[in-house]
Amino acid sequence: MNIGTRKILDRSFTAVGLTSILLMALALLVVVVPIVSGGIGAIFFKGTIEHRKLQLREFDNGNREVLDRQIAESEPYRQEVFRMLDAFAAELETFEPTRKREYSSKVSSVKDIVSHLLGPVPGEPEPILLRFQYGTTRWEKAEESLHDLMFVTKWDTSNPEEMGKQYFVPRVDEFAGTSLAALFPYIEENLEKMLLPEQTFYWGFLTERSLDAHIFGGVWAEIQGTLFLAIGAMLFAFPMGVIAAIYFTEYARENVFTSILRSANSTLAGVPSIVFGLFGLAFFINTIKVSDSKSVLAGSLTLAIMILPTIIRAAEEAILSVPKTYKEASIGLGSTKWRTIVTVILPAALPGIITGGIISLGRAAGETAPIIFTAAVSVGATIGLGDVLTSPTPALSWNIYNLASEHEAANEIRHVQYGMVLALISIVLLLNLSAILLRARISKKLKG
Amino acid sequence: MADAALDGGKKSDAFVISRAKLRRQRIAKFLGEGFLLAIASFVAIIVLFIFYFVAVDAIPFFQQRGFAEFFTSTSWYPADEPGEFGALAIIFGSAMVTIGSALIAVPLGISAAICLSDVLPFSVRQYAKPVIEMLAAIPSVAYGFFALVILAPLLQNHGGPILMWAWWLIAGPFVLLLVVVAGDLLASAVGGESESDVLRNVFTAVLGVVAVLFLYWVGKTLFAIQILTGTNALNVSLILSFMALPTIVSVSEDSLQAVGRELREGSYALGATRAETIVKTVLPAASSGIIAAVILGIMRALGETMVVWMASGNSSHIPDPWFNYLDSIRTLTATIAGDMGEADQVTGSARYHVLFAMGLLLLCFSFVGNFISERIVVRQRKILAGE
Amino acid sequence: MQMTAEAKSSNQSASKSGASREIFLPPERDRVKDGGKPHLSAKNFSIFYGDFEAVKKIEADILSKYVTAIIGPSGCGKSTFLRAINRMNDLIPSCYTSGSLMFDGEDVYGKYTDEVQLRRKIGMVFQKPNPFPKSIFDNIAYGPRLQGVKEKKVLDEIVEKSLRKAALWDEVKDRLDKNALGLSGGQQQRLCVARTLAVEPEILLLDEPTSALDPKSTAKIEDLIEELRGSYTIAIVTHNMQQASRVSDYTMFFYEGDLVEYAPTKQLFTNPRDQVTEDYITGRFS
Repeated sequence: MNIGTRKILDRSFTAVGLTSILLMALALLVVVVPIVSGGIGAIFFKGTIEHRKLQLREFDNGNREVLDRQIAESEPYRQEVFRMLDAFAAELETFEPTRKREYSSKVSSVKDIVSHLLGPVPGEPEPILLRFQYGTTRWEKAEESLHDLMFVTKWDTSNPEEMGKQYFVPRVDEFAGTSLAALFPYIEENLEKMLLPEQTFYWGFLTERSLDAHIFGGVWAEIQGTLFLAIGAMLFAFPMGVIAAIYFTEYARENVFTSILRSANSTLAGVPSIVFGLFGLAFFINTIKVSDSKSVLAGSLTLAIMILPTIIRAAEEAILSVPKTYKEASIGLGSTKWRTIVTVILPAALPGIITGGIISLGRAAGETAPIIFTAAVSVGATIGLGDVLTSPTPALSWNIYNLASEHEAANEIRHVQYGMVLALISIVLLLNLSAILLRARISKKLKG
Repeated sequence: MADAALDGGKKSDAFVISRAKLRRQRIAKFLGEGFLLAIASFVAIIVLFIFYFVAVDAIPFFQQRGFAEFFTSTSWYPADEPGEFGALAIIFGSAMVTIGSALIAVPLGISAAICLSDVLPFSVRQYAKPVIEMLAAIPSVAYGFFALVILAPLLQNHGGPILMWAWWLIAGPFVLLLVVVAGDLLASAVGGESESDVLRNVFTAVLGVVAVLFLYWVGKTLFAIQILTGTNALNVSLILSFMALPTIVSVSEDSLQAVGRELREGSYALGATRAETIVKTVLPAASSGIIAAVILGIMRALGETMVVWMASGNSSHIPDPWFNYLDSIRTLTATIAGDMGEADQVTGSARYHVLFAMGLLLLCFSFVGNFISERIVVRQRKILAGE
Repeated sequence: MQMTAEAKSSNQSASKSGASREIFLPPERDRVKDGGKPHLSAKNFSIFYGDFEAVKKIEADILSKYVTAIIGPSGCGKSTFLRAINRMNDLIPSCYTSGSLMFDGEDVYGKYTDEVQLRRKIGMVFQKPNPFPKSIFDNIAYGPRLQGVKEKKVLDEIVEKSLRKAALWDEVKDRLDKNALGLSGGQQQRLCVARTLAVEPEILLLDEPTSALDPKSTAKIEDLIEELRGSYTIAIVTHNMQQASRVSDYTMFFYEGDLVEYAPTKQLFTNPRDQVTEDYITGRFS
């Protein structure tokens, strides 16, 4: 082959390699950036007066005087809206029956949106569900609702070959000639005065309980459940993993039995996570009945066997990286083997072992499949430490799935989902980051 | 002190100890090692238990319904009375996303690993490795959330343009490279030893025009595609490939590093370029590790639950045509996760046991994959030792 | 530092930089045909690892078709210098050079020099035998195939010729398709020599080629060098002074990055001009 072509091939080869690295970095950004920005939106957003009302009434957060003043400030504008609606209701009575039926259905969707925006319309019966007792708490949601109020969404399905196309018709046209026509420009103009949006830093998202299935409130129950499960798994897996690693590195003889044990370890590492869930259900709950049904205990045990191989491997590596001279020195000074392991090898290997442990902790916190059948519930209150043996718990990983795929208002509470994903990723990545830093320190120390 | 020892001294100082003490020590040692061994064997016991307990709940299904329906029928109506339990479409869906993700992740992962081990300077590598670890650490449900909430609407609304740009960006450079090489090869085949530059340029130009037309035509076709649903096999394959990448990259990079400097230097000293050195020497020598890496990566994609559950569309049919990655599918893992909620209420029914049958199938796949990768590594080690 | 290769005979005067670089050939009976031209000439040539100057301002010619030994205590820069000749040091990111190193009148580190083509002309054999984990045949055919040789017949010829030159043909001719890693250490090293010869280099660099071998294999490699002398320009780095005196015509002595002395081997070992050289060859330090 021509040397020029060989060179081109060589360069392209390098280019392909660099491109693939760049693609990976790019993909990481594409995944992480929207999640982080969306997640920050759960905590830092433009909150409306409804958000502050809710905070004060449900959690007793905030300043009552300021709020009362703001309510008084916004009330006149709201009254005007309700007045217009009442006026139209009176006007409706004067219409002939067909026209009346037509307009009353139209006005009821207007009323729905208005109550969604501003909270219950005065005079109507107090709603039972909490989600209907307050208006829109987030300004960007209010803007979306405003758009729904101003425009009717229609679908163009004239071309059967293609998918239907969305288009919008101004809602004011539907009420042309009636008194309600004035309502739309009024709300568009004065919505801000009715809702009084302010930049809000809602730290409580991480520390407060959820209200009405995550329509309002925070995700503390999930965070706590995740911590319980992950730490519980570590309590079982860490000691066992370290002991097994000591056996493999210091005591195991190279024979068939040992190699079977090692293969078992890598087999266990390769088992799909959902199968762990099946096993947890069939063994821990249905067979040995550690609890009557799902519980934190059963979930932790299932997660523990899942992370065990990782811990064993990391601990083995850490122990093997302890210089042989340490051990020889200790034995040479007349120490027994076990004493040498406990007093010399383990302390030297400890940072490495802990690194492996931290990474496994992160993995246990992030896994979903093993806890679906063994520990996780969709809606649940925070559980106490005393309940871990018997009670199931909500957990971030499971509830992200549940809110995103199965919640009846999944589209309405995207910000909660983003917030949960960010919380979970932060927990996991912080754990990993600390492990990486710890390892960097160890290798620096080894280099001297 | 020395005198005292010579005189017989205290018994505890002597290195010859009494028989009773020796026996006590032996028993203590035996018990201690036994305890360690028991803990170490625990992993093996768990593996046996997993096989046993999954199998015990899977066997009743096969006893009730036999094997034929499960493996050959595509009718999956477990909730009906009587239910139908044809899992062929589901198995097919699992295979489809696994293969799809492998097609993306394997070339990307191997070239990234090569880049990390042989192209990038050490200082960059130090930062790249933790980033890859972070990638691996991101929980699957976060990827699933991304696939469902961000990627799926994108694909659904802008599928055609996205596919076209991906095609241009990825296939474009490769096809043009191919043109240059093919032009060169053709020229030397026709022109023989003389290898005239004119001939080569003519061939390259002609091929280049053909290639650009081809690229344009495919791009246009892709642009016209309407993706009916964003939760489809393509979406899932993309995300799964991304999840399999860290495994493939880090395991293959380790095996590329293990090849050692000597072989690389030997090849460079014979006048090989870096690409030639890697393709002809380093990759063959590291092949076992790379194959093991690929198998591990594929296993991760096959066993992944949350992403496929959230973003595959969960429709149990074989796409039409069968390679249509833009259609929704359903996988084994997602079926287990999704159906257990209802099946759990009726423990003992075929509906419950069929999910364990699927689990057993997955378990067998992962066991075989693991076994094969271990074998390959062992065999290659023997070859390298000069057997 | 200016070094002079000093010897009695002087029928050559193709020196490049005046009297200080005069070239002296060995006695008549040891001379080789067409040899003795400066094949490689270093001018003010330094090699750095980052800030560290590993080889300092070398001025020397390596003469064609003769064997030049490079000796010195470990860490003196002798291997670095050897690896710089075919730009093997390019693989080390922090390594760079200054001054010039000319090969056949072209600058090895010139802007337009292609290191890939250069390495084909300047072959190298390493300390540790490094056959590829392929068959013996594929090992030898590796280089020619890179150059685009495809016909089996031509490759067969090249393989046989190279293995014969490396005195390995008789030992391996019946198992050319066997994995090269199955050969003994000495055979592997000769295979590496054969592999290098297969691309028909002009210069052969040997970097302590026998340090990993037993005495018997070492003797075979030394015989091989004797065989190749006169056909190739050979530079051999060795830590073994007996070996240097046995196989080489000229010897360079490096110490702490300086080329302390460069002279015909006999002269350097019997009548060193420099005190450090004397201390080293008499074993006062190593």
